[in-house]
Amino acid sequence: MKNIAKLTRIAVLVLILSLAFSAAAGCSKTRVIGISQFGEHASLDNCRLGFLQGLKDAGLTEGQDFTIDYQNAGFDGAIATQIAQTFSAKNVALMCAIATPSATACYAAAEDKDIPVVFSAITDPVEAKLDSGNITGTSDKLAVDAQLELIRKLQPEADTIGILYTTSEPNSVSAIAEYKAKAGQYGFTIEAIGVTAQSEVTLAADSLIAKQVDCFSNLTDNTVVGVLASILEKTNEAGIPVYGSEVEQVKRGCVAAAGIDYYQLGRQTGAIAARILKGEAKASEIPYEVISEYGIYVNSEAIAAANLTVPADVAARMTEAKDA
Amino acid sequence: MNVLLDLAISTLTQGLIYALLSYGVYITYKILDFPDLTVDGSFPLGAAVTAVLLTRGTDPFLTLLIAIAIGALAGLVTGLIHVRLHVRDLLAGIITMTALFSINLQIAGSNMTVERAASTIFTADPVMALLGALPLIYRKLIVSLLIALIGKLVLDVYLKTKNGLLLRAVGDNSVLVTSLAKDKGLVKITGLVIANALVALSGAIVCHEQRAFSSTMGTGQVVFGLATVIIGTTLFRSMSFVKGTTAVLVGSILYKGCIQIAISIGLPANLLKLVTAVLFLGILVFGHARKGGVKAHA
Amino acid sequence: MLELKNITKIYNPGTITEMCLFEDFSLTIENGEFLSIVGSNGSGKTSLLNIICGSIPIEGGDVLVGGESIVRQQDYKRYNRIGRVYQNPAMGTCPSLTILENMSLADNKGQRYNLTAGINKKRRAYYREQLASLGLGLEDKLDVKLESLSGGQRQAVALIMATLTPVDFLILDEHTAALDPKTAETIMVLTDKIVREKNLTAMMVTHNLRYAVQYGSRLIMMNEGRVIYEKAGAEKAALAVDDVLHIFTEISIECGN
Repeated sequence: MKNIAKLTRIAVLVLILSLAFSAAAGCSKTRVIGISQFGEHASLDNCRLGFLQGLKDAGLTEGQDFTIDYQNAGFDGAIATQIAQTFSAKNVALMCAIATPSATACYAAAEDKDIPVVFSAITDPVEAKLDSGNITGTSDKLAVDAQLELIRKLQPEADTIGILYTTSEPNSVSAIAEYKAKAGQYGFTIEAIGVTAQSEVTLAADSLIAKQVDCFSNLTDNTVVGVLASILEKTNEAGIPVYGSEVEQVKRGCVAAAGIDYYQLGRQTGAIAARILKGEAKASEIPYEVISEYGIYVNSEAIAAANLTVPADVAARMTEAKDA
Repeated sequence: MNVLLDLAISTLTQGLIYALLSYGVYITYKILDFPDLTVDGSFPLGAAVTAVLLTRGTDPFLTLLIAIAIGALAGLVTGLIHVRLHVRDLLAGIITMTALFSINLQIAGSNMTVERAASTIFTADPVMALLGALPLIYRKLIVSLLIALIGKLVLDVYLKTKNGLLLRAVGDNSVLVTSLAKDKGLVKITGLVIANALVALSGAIVCHEQRAFSSTMGTGQVVFGLATVIIGTTLFRSMSFVKGTTAVLVGSILYKGCIQIAISIGLPANLLKLVTAVLFLGILVFGHARKGGVKAHA
Repeated sequence: MLELKNITKIYNPGTITEMCLFEDFSLTIENGEFLSIVGSNGSGKTSLLNIICGSIPIEGGDVLVGGESIVRQQDYKRYNRIGRVYQNPAMGTCPSLTILENMSLADNKGQRYNLTAGINKKRRAYYREQLASLGLGLEDKLDVKLESLSGGQRQAVALIMATLTPVDFLILDEHTAALDPKTAETIMVLTDKIVREKNLTAMMVTHNLRYAVQYGSRLIMMNEGRVIYEKAGAEKAALAVDDVLHIFTEISIECGN
C-alpha cells in the first residue's frame, strides 16, 4: 500500500509540475496563436512561414500583438489530437491548423469553446466537413486546368500522363477524378496508379514507366511526394519529365508546375487570421478561400535535361523555382 | 489553474479512451502470449464503421456495439488463420491487418469526417439530459471514464469465470488446456475475439471524439498498446493485488500524460517518439531495479 | 481395456533422417492394470504414451479403448478419459495462477467452461483436504501462485489435478525424474495410493528400475520399438531390481538409475 501511495504521489507531482511549468510559460499578456502543423514538410513549413508573414502584413507584430505557440504532430493523428486539446485548454486566441488531420483535431477540440480555427492546405473543406461553425481558412485545391494546359504547351506531342496517388487520401482521389474528367479537353489520357503506402510508390513508378507514359504529373499527395527523389531518379533515367503541383516540388527537380506557392497560400491564411484577431469579422462569417492566382514555376536545369522547349507565352509568365 | 485543470481533463480522457485498446493488447500480449498485430487494423476498423454509421444517423451507443461486433470478427479472422490454417501468430496478425487496411477504406470510402450536426456518445440526448449543464470536455471525461471502467469491470469479472480461467491458462501453459480436454485453439480464438472487440471499441470512441476516421490512424497502435501494458505491469510488478487491467489503465493514462508534458514544455514534435522510447526504457529499467532491490532485501 | 494394434510410427517420413520406431507394434492393457514401462532412451516409451494420447500422428495401426477406435479423435478429446502427469512439473499446472485457481480449473474438467464463477468457494474445503493428503502443507497456500512453489510441490499439485475428476487412464511420463530422491519417493507413494483408491488404469514410464519393480502390477522393458521383457502377476510381484538390471545390462544399454 505504501508503494502505491508513493507511486501515485510521484506521478501526480511530475504531472502537476510540468503542467504548471507550461501554464506559467503560457501566461503571457499578449494573445496566443496556436499553430498546429500535421508534420514537418517543406510545403507545410512554407505555409506556416507565409501565415506569419500574412499577420505581419496586416500590421500585427509578434511579441506585441500576439505570441506563437507552434506545435507539429510528426504526422501522428493521436498527437495532433493532444496538441489541439492543449490549445483548447490554454484558451488560445486562435488556432491555425495546417493540413486536414490537424484541422479536424482543432475543430473537435474547439467544439464547445468559442475559439476560432483558421485552416490552411486543405483541398476540400466541404468534403472534410470543415465549412460550418467558427472555422474558416484557405484551400489548396489543385489547378488542374492550368496544369494540363502547361503540359500541352511544353509537350505538344504527348498522349498519356501518368499519376501516382494514395488511395486513402480523399484529396488525391478527387483530384484524380478531376484529372480524368478534364484530360480529354486537352487531348490527354490519364494513367493513374494508386498506392496504399510509401514503400509501394517506386514500384508503381516503375510500372508507369513500363506503360510508356509521356510524362508524370504530381498531386499534393504527401505519401508520393515524400519519395519524389527516388521517383525522379527513375524517370530521369527513362527520360520522362515529371511535372510538380507546387513550387517546392519544382525546386526538388520537377520540370515545371502550374500550381500553388504554399507561402502565398499561408499569407492569404494569415490575412484572414488578422481580420479575426482585429475583431473585423468572426471566423464563422468568413467563407473559406480558394487561392485565386496560380503561378507557373519552372526548373531550367530539369527542362534542359528533359529536352523540352518553353514556348514564349509560357516563358513570359514563368518564375524560376530555385532556392536562393 | 483553469488551464491546468483543462489539460489534465483532456489528457485523462485520452488515456481512458485508449485504455480500452490497452486492455485488448493486455489480453493478447500478456494473457495469451500472442503478439497480435491485428490491432493496427482493428482500431481504425472500429472508427471506420462508426464514421459511416454516425453519418447515417445511427444511434451513437448502438454504433459502439456494432464496432465491438465487427472488431470481434477481425479477431476471429486472425484466430482462424492462426489456428485452423496453422499460420504463425505474428504473420496471422499481419495478414489480417493488411487486409483490414483495404477493408477499412472500402467501408469508409476514404478518410472521412463526421459533420458536427451528427450526435455522438458525448452529445446524445440521454447524455445531455444528465450532463448537459457541463462543458463538453467534462462530458467527454465522464463518458470515457464510465466506458473505461465498465470495460475494466466486465473484463475483471470475465477473467474470473471458468472461461476466463481457461483463457489465462492457455497463455500460461497450453499443454494443461489440452489435458483438461479443451481445444486450445478455440480458447486462443476466444481471446483474440475479445481483444480485438475492445480495440475496435477504442477506435470507435476516438471516432466519436474526433468526428473523423483516417486510414492511417491505426499505425503504431500496437506499439502504443505494448508500451502501456509494459509500463503498467512493470510499475505494479511488486504489487500483486493490483489487477492487470488497472495496471494497463494507469499505463495508458501515464503514456498520454507523458506526451502531454512533452507537448506542454514545447519539445519539438520530431523528438516526441524519441522521448517516448526513453521513457519506456526508463520505466523498464526502473521496474527491474526495484524488483532487484526487493530481492536483495529478502 | 486399452489396445494398441499393429502400430507403425515413422519419424520424419520421406526425409533423409527417416526413422521407423514402431512396426506392427501391439500392446494390450487391461482395466485396473498398473503398467511400468522401462527402457533406454529412444526405445519408444514416451512415443508410446504420445500415441495413446494423440500427441503425435501414426502412420498405421489402431488405438482402441474398450473396443472402440479413438485413433481419429483429436488429442484434447481423448483427455476426457485420460489424466497425464509430465516429467516437467511446469507442464501440469499454470504458473501464474494460484493453487486454488489451478484446482478449480482441473475440477471442472469434463464440463463446460462457461461464464459462471471460475472458483466455487464451497469446494475450498475439498481442495484443502486433497492437498492435505500430500503432507506438504500446501492446503494453507491455496492463494499462492504456482510459480512460487518448488518443483516437487508443483508436481504434487499436478498429480492431484490430473486425477481430481474421474478419468479412466492415468499416464505418468517420467513424472519423478526431475525431482530430488526424497520428493520423488513422496510423489511415488502418492501415485500408488491414488491409482489404488480411484481404481485407475495407469501407465508409468520411468528410468527408475526400483520404482518399476516396486510399484505396479505389470512391467515391460522396451528396446528399439519392441517389448523385449515382460513380467506380470505373481512373477512381477516376485521380481527383484537386480533381475531387471541384469537384463538391462545384458542388452548393453545404459542403466536409467
